[in-house]
Amino acid sequence: MIDLYPNLMRTSIVLVLSSAALLALAPSCKKKSTEPPAGTTGSAGSAIAETGSAMTGSAGSAAAPTPAPPPTPAGPTDPQIAAIVVAANQVDIDAGNLAVKKTKNPEVKKFAQLMVTDHTAVNKGAVELVTKLKVTPEETDASKALVSGGADNRAKLEKLEGAAFDKAYVDNEVAYHKAVIDVLTNQLIPSAQNAELKSTLVGVKPAFDAHLEHAEKLQATLEGGSGATMGSGHKM
Amino acid sequence: MKRIGPIFAVLLAGACGSPKHAPQILHVDIRGMKYEPDSLAVSVGDTVEWTNQDLVPHTVTSSTFDSKSIAPHATWSYVARTGGDFAYNCTFHPVMVGAIIVR
Repeated sequence: MIDLYPNLMRTSIVLVLSSAALLALAPSCKKKSTEPPAGTTGSAGSAIAETGSAMTGSAGSAAAPTPAPPPTPAGPTDPQIAAIVVAANQVDIDAGNLAVKKTKNPEVKKFAQLMVTDHTAVNKGAVELVTKLKVTPEETDASKALVSGGADNRAKLEKLEGAAFDKAYVDNEVAYHKAVIDVLTNQLIPSAQNAELKSTLVGVKPAFDAHLEHAEKLQATLEGGSGATMGSGHKM
Repeated sequence: MKRIGPIFAVLLAGACGSPKHAPQILHVDIRGMKYEPDSLAVSVGDTVEWTNQDLVPHTVTSSTFDSKSIAPHATWSYVARTGGDFAYNCTFHPVMVGAIIVR
């Protein structure tokens, strides 16, 4: 039952975003020569500029005359992307705080603390960036679905204890990070208009990939039974 | 006497010139959950500086040195005082590994 939340969340996000985001990219994609963030080199910006060129170049002209395409709904705007990113991070921070409080498994606690630390840091960076860019996060159905789904998930986790809690929390983390990585890769990064915002999204993806790998290893440990209780995996 | 001059010059160069390595500062970027470069050869006396370019904190931790948490955009440095191969990792993120080879 716990697995339903990430699946529902993923479905919600994809449904809300996929109908518009990719279709809206080519006409609205602007190439900006924004300076890279302080302390970074220009390599990330170059990669993004290339991506932008590829996207604008993909709108090929058909040989036969075709009727003008119907107006397409816009993809997620930068303010909407900002709201989704902040909501996604906050959901995992809240789940992590709950896990830090409830779990007795040191590996689960360590992972949960890492989620709190990392997603808090990502949100701090995201908020600093949108403040600098004078972008006000704008709630969408997707960001609202993330928040409400996160609350539902925590309510379910609150009722569990011990190994059942650990398994539910870690299973959710695996599914959650898969869903977020999918949306980040296929919706948010391609839709971001501001070069610095896009660069930040690209730069943060490896952290989410690493979290997923970490969560999957933890999940395998729990399923194997060696990490279910403190010290149970150690043999003299 | 003719040959003494060049020989003396060579000996003098050997005594005063290259054997002493001028300490250098070498840089490693922490970016995208990787150390770049992930392996670095340095000489005894060199300083290695790691700069965290990610949004999340990292560490540079080996059996002989430990940066503790390096905040985003912060730098931590280590002076290589003894030779050897030093594998290190980020204690927060198990996927991150690197090495410095001190000669």
